[in-house]
Amino acid sequence: MSVDDVVDDDSRKRNTYDFDRHAPEYRDNFLPITEEMHAKCPMAWSDTHGGHWVAAGGREVFTFARSADVSNDHDLKGTRRGYKGIAIPTMERASGVRGGILEMDEPEHREFRSLLNPYLSPAAVNRWIPFIDEVVRASIDERIETGRIDFVDELANIVPAVLTLAMLGIPVKKWTIYNEPVHAAVYTPPDSPDIPRIGELHRAMGLDLLTNLMEVRENPRPGLVDALARATVDGETPDDMELLGILSLLIGGGFDTTTALTAHSLEWLSQHPEERDTLSRERDTLLNSATEEFLRYFAPAPGDGRTISADCEYDGIQLMEGDRLWLSWAMANRDSSLFPEPNQIDLERKGNRHFSFGLGIHRCIGSNVARTVFKRMLVAVLDRMPDYRCDPEGTVHYDSIGVIQGMRHLLATFTPGPRLGAGLDDTLEKLQLITDEQGLAEPITARGKDAQARG
Amino acid sequence: MEVKVDPERCQGHTLCAMAAPDVFELSDIDGHASAVNEAVSAEHEEKVREAAHSCPEQAISLF
Repeated sequence: MSVDDVVDDDSRKRNTYDFDRHAPEYRDNFLPITEEMHAKCPMAWSDTHGGHWVAAGGREVFTFARSADVSNDHDLKGTRRGYKGIAIPTMERASGVRGGILEMDEPEHREFRSLLNPYLSPAAVNRWIPFIDEVVRASIDERIETGRIDFVDELANIVPAVLTLAMLGIPVKKWTIYNEPVHAAVYTPPDSPDIPRIGELHRAMGLDLLTNLMEVRENPRPGLVDALARATVDGETPDDMELLGILSLLIGGGFDTTTALTAHSLEWLSQHPEERDTLSRERDTLLNSATEEFLRYFAPAPGDGRTISADCEYDGIQLMEGDRLWLSWAMANRDSSLFPEPNQIDLERKGNRHFSFGLGIHRCIGSNVARTVFKRMLVAVLDRMPDYRCDPEGTVHYDSIGVIQGMRHLLATFTPGPRLGAGLDDTLEKLQLITDEQGLAEPITARGKDAQARG
Repeated sequence: MEVKVDPERCQGHTLCAMAAPDVFELSDIDGHASAVNEAVSAEHEEKVREAAHSCPEQAISLF
């Protein structure tokens, strides 16, 4: 036993906290766990899931998310340092494929990210607003005359899925093929007997993505798949499995998270009808800050894993190279030193520097999509079903919030209203034509703002 | 008041442009921010303080 072993053992022992995000009771105990960790050990060692550090406080997350001594790498083939990427525990069902750019370090990360940026910037996303509004309109039209809706299955699952496929350059009518595996993969606990079946659905989805990649190489059509299909990094064509990982990340990031944010926000607004009315009336001044506050409070992506890449010290705590670390965006978002009254939703909150899109170079590349899609869905609901009431009996949260803090169902009733246009299938057909004709899925660099003018 | 966005720290969260849209412009390509004009007029001061306070990366400096 060396001095080093004693020192790091000591650091771990003095800061131990039994932390299990995947435990079924975690969701109900989030607040007391957060408060306890903030008070006693905002940087804690937990022996769960193979042993890992947990950064729970704002200062801790800020430091380590931006630290040069921290790696996102997932070394699948063991040719580098054997690091295990961003999932704690390592997700076996996805073991053949890396988690895209989120599991890359520099300089590789920047090379791939630069290919994707022009499709996902604020300017790029703004071109899609009329498209988004049409999908929202049609989804609501399917239910508006009945006075009943499942905000998850019949709105919040649909719009992000359709838009993500359109931005990828995949025919939007395929959204139903992607929908179940993506959501099921996220809400099923890691030890569930359903995992093999979901693995199968995922493989089918992976196959469809690879097929699209091949098709786009043969017959180019604009979109993120095209950007990756023609990518060269360091003069070389990346492996198809690498590209599959990136595509899977765009889909995984694009689907579930925005759905989760929307469901939680709509539920909260139903429980606080006065605030809902205020938000609707004063949306010009409140919509942005309200969106950021819902992001902070509901943190759809509660955290990400890292590996310490060099021995380092924080606040007298020794962390060793190879140690695993969980960056808890969700707990940092409740740090009272950054967010006064952190467990209250304040739709006008100022200085809302929340961590929900991560921090540092891996800031969620879909953040502009998320904000825009969420706001368009919210505004349409406020306008067309202003009196909606969520039914607690019809509200189903994810059993496990280890990966995404989401909801499976959110049933609501409302005063019926008139349809405004065609149903979803017809609308998607029309939108596919428009997308293709107007080149909506091209990068912003292709035509700049002209694409917007043509729309 | 003068304002500067540190391009090494900015990661394109866009919160500054929400707080002070006349003061910060965002790159078409990646949404990273820069000050339209480093000199901040009196009418914009409060919003610029809010922008600096809101930046998750703490990339905005005020002089």
